[in-house]
Amino acid sequence: MAGKSGRSIKAEQEVSFKKLILSWEGALFILIILLNIFNASISPSYTVTNILREMPKYLAEILMMFPMAYILVLGDIDISVGSIVCLCATMTCFISNAGAPAIVTYIGCLAVGLICGMVNGAVATRFPELPSMIITLGTQIIYRGIAEISLGSGGSVSFNDTKKIMPLSKKIGPVPVVLFVVIIAAVIFTVVLAKCTFGRELYAIGSNKLSAFYAGVEVQKCRFIAYSLLGLMAGACGLFLTAYMYGANTTTGQGFEMEVIAMCVFGGIATTGGKGNLIGAIIAGAIIVLLRIALGQINLNSQLILVIIGAMLIIAVLIPGIQANLKARRKLKQAR
Amino acid sequence: MSDSEYILELKDITKIFPGVKALNRVQFQLKRGEIHALMGENGAGKSTFIKVITGVHAAEEGHMYLEGEEVHFKGPKDASKAGIAAVYQHPTTYPTLSVAENIFMGHEIIKNGMIQWKEMNRQADELLSKLHANFKSTDEMGALSVAQQQMTEIAKALSTNAKIVILDEPTASLTANESEELYRIVEKLRDDGVSVIFISHRFEDMYRLASRVTVFRDSQYIGTYDVDKITNADLIKAMVGREITDMFPKPDVKIGEEIFKIEGLSRTGFFKNVSLSVHAGEIVGMTGLVGAGRTEVMEAVCGITKPDEGKVFLNGKQLKIKKPSDAMKEGIILLPENRSTQGLILTWGLGRNVTLPIQKKLAKGFFNDIKKENELARDFLEEVDKGAVSIFDPASSLSGGNQQKVVVAKALAQDNMKVIILDEPTKGVDVGAKAEIYAIMGELAKKGYAIIMISSEMPEILGMSDTIYVMCNGRITGCLNREEASQEHILSLSMEHSDKKKEAAQ
Repeated sequence: MAGKSGRSIKAEQEVSFKKLILSWEGALFILIILLNIFNASISPSYTVTNILREMPKYLAEILMMFPMAYILVLGDIDISVGSIVCLCATMTCFISNAGAPAIVTYIGCLAVGLICGMVNGAVATRFPELPSMIITLGTQIIYRGIAEISLGSGGSVSFNDTKKIMPLSKKIGPVPVVLFVVIIAAVIFTVVLAKCTFGRELYAIGSNKLSAFYAGVEVQKCRFIAYSLLGLMAGACGLFLTAYMYGANTTTGQGFEMEVIAMCVFGGIATTGGKGNLIGAIIAGAIIVLLRIALGQINLNSQLILVIIGAMLIIAVLIPGIQANLKARRKLKQAR
Repeated sequence: MSDSEYILELKDITKIFPGVKALNRVQFQLKRGEIHALMGENGAGKSTFIKVITGVHAAEEGHMYLEGEEVHFKGPKDASKAGIAAVYQHPTTYPTLSVAENIFMGHEIIKNGMIQWKEMNRQADELLSKLHANFKSTDEMGALSVAQQQMTEIAKALSTNAKIVILDEPTASLTANESEELYRIVEKLRDDGVSVIFISHRFEDMYRLASRVTVFRDSQYIGTYDVDKITNADLIKAMVGREITDMFPKPDVKIGEEIFKIEGLSRTGFFKNVSLSVHAGEIVGMTGLVGAGRTEVMEAVCGITKPDEGKVFLNGKQLKIKKPSDAMKEGIILLPENRSTQGLILTWGLGRNVTLPIQKKLAKGFFNDIKKENELARDFLEEVDKGAVSIFDPASSLSGGNQQKVVVAKALAQDNMKVIILDEPTKGVDVGAKAEIYAIMGELAKKGYAIIMISSEMPEILGMSDTIYVMCNGRITGCLNREEASQEHILSLSMEHSDKKKEAAQ
């Protein structure tokens, strides 16, 4: 179909295998294969059964990674999620210990998370000129403060009627329930971000808030939804954590926000907004979980694991810059 | 060769960017103490050429002679040492620092490792008084107007004892008065023996200042002409490569019934009691000085901001518009003034930009209909005929004029459009693309849309509008029809009020 100029504009995108491999997600995919070979070589107990058995304690956090990716794509950040997890876990124990049935306990936990997220969202959208880092720094302290006040002098609470929360730590065959939940969440969140109008709006806001607003995108509504989703998933994380720890204490969920943000950034999502996708973040999350399992199996000091992950993160952030540099040089050579 | 008539001479300069030749064997000669205009369409290579001169880009081929001696600049520092300074359209300043700090950025006056503030401020004030500036060296940069910031940049150029000053579209964001001030400064520079290269899309800038003009087109050198010997038509032909017979193709449209009406719209501090009406097929021009409140009125109409009072009617029905999407649903489409920060998402492909406002309409349930979106985007982009090859090209890769056409395509794609509001549609757009945008406006009028055009450019206001509203200090001071409008009349209406205000203040 030619325009009045008699010239036709191309509307089909070329997909090349080479491009796919050279993309960040492609590189991560190769990295995860190499990592598995590496893990298997250093740890004799690195088997599927063992991995599935040790996985659950790392998986609950991953639930927060999906909506955190939304927040980062928006160009926002939320560092209060670790505290939300703590508050949710605490409240779950209190609700259950007060004699509530299982279903009420579950819903109560998710509701606490959702409300925390909605509070973040309400403040962030009511005062859009405030940096989200500062807002959520404030709520981070507030939420953990409320949890600590509720926990009292002992600083911990245990989940009395463990039968109620057992179903969550169960396995279906060899596969833990939490992995199913993670996979379902992964599919939904990935598809919404990549294929749905809401995802497109998130990218639009993160790329240029003002242009998105002029184009009719309801910027503050989208931000509110993203914060609320993150609160809800923090609630889910808190619920699973309680199921595995049979209780909560003042350090529950500590540092989760940074680990989750690290997974997203490692997965190629820019904290400046508008860039990256969940495929990359999911692979990155898997890499970190598998690395932890393997390093845990050979009894490596857990602090050392943190050092390794930190170093990987910095390298990951550096590589795209180096890549772009190389690409520009190659193009220049071709042009000559 | 080293004949000293030319202070700067460039020969056979070729600059290659990945995939494109941005400059193809161009030449340029700058005489000592002259003001030399450099003109051409957007994307003709003017900016790249300037960056070669200032050492930002290294040319692949060619020679550059400064005072007859061949020079090779490795970076902007070399150029600045050699006495070449550039002032850009958007001053690259440090808004939180003082004027003096900005002027001496990079060459501070230092004694024993300490910055000599007193001396620096004194010298800065000296430079500013030379330029008859109405601000002090200790003022904060961010508090100054664009014109004042440019003045600071010029002072910065003078502080390095520049022999050659390059001005890249300095008047694009200035009001008529401010431009006049700039002309005066540039003429003073010339009288002091500085050679000036002046890039502009405004013909009046060139006629007012330059003695010679060099034209680039499609990365190539077209020619150098004496300003008083070349006609306007010949110059446009040199720039565009074809003859533009009718710059303002205003079609003879029979004006239909009233479509759009604003009644008593007010927003405290911005505009007061604004009323206007637009009929089918009518082009309404809104003009006035920058800051008169024209943009603010239209932003309030479109739900960008909230007016305090007033009513908006479409086809006789009163509208309640609270946010931009409400206005779009009613078919009121705004093409904002600033393409890069309001109109487009520069990192996105053209197609995505065009379909962003309508993605929900095209979607199947929650899911984007990518195929339909791409086809629609292609059709509308072809309709406005822009220079892109693929709908996946990022918007940032286009020149200003072509970006504006993408913004137009984005508006056209909204099929429920009834009222179209164009805010400074040809700002920073070259003459060829301007004519095309006017042609599109004419087409839209023929189809019976109600069109509002906000513009500060007198020729397009006079050339395209059926009715002209003039604003001043937030009020509409006059409504003229096409026959009674004249440049003098409009100017007096746009100033009238401010004079009265001054009188009242005295």
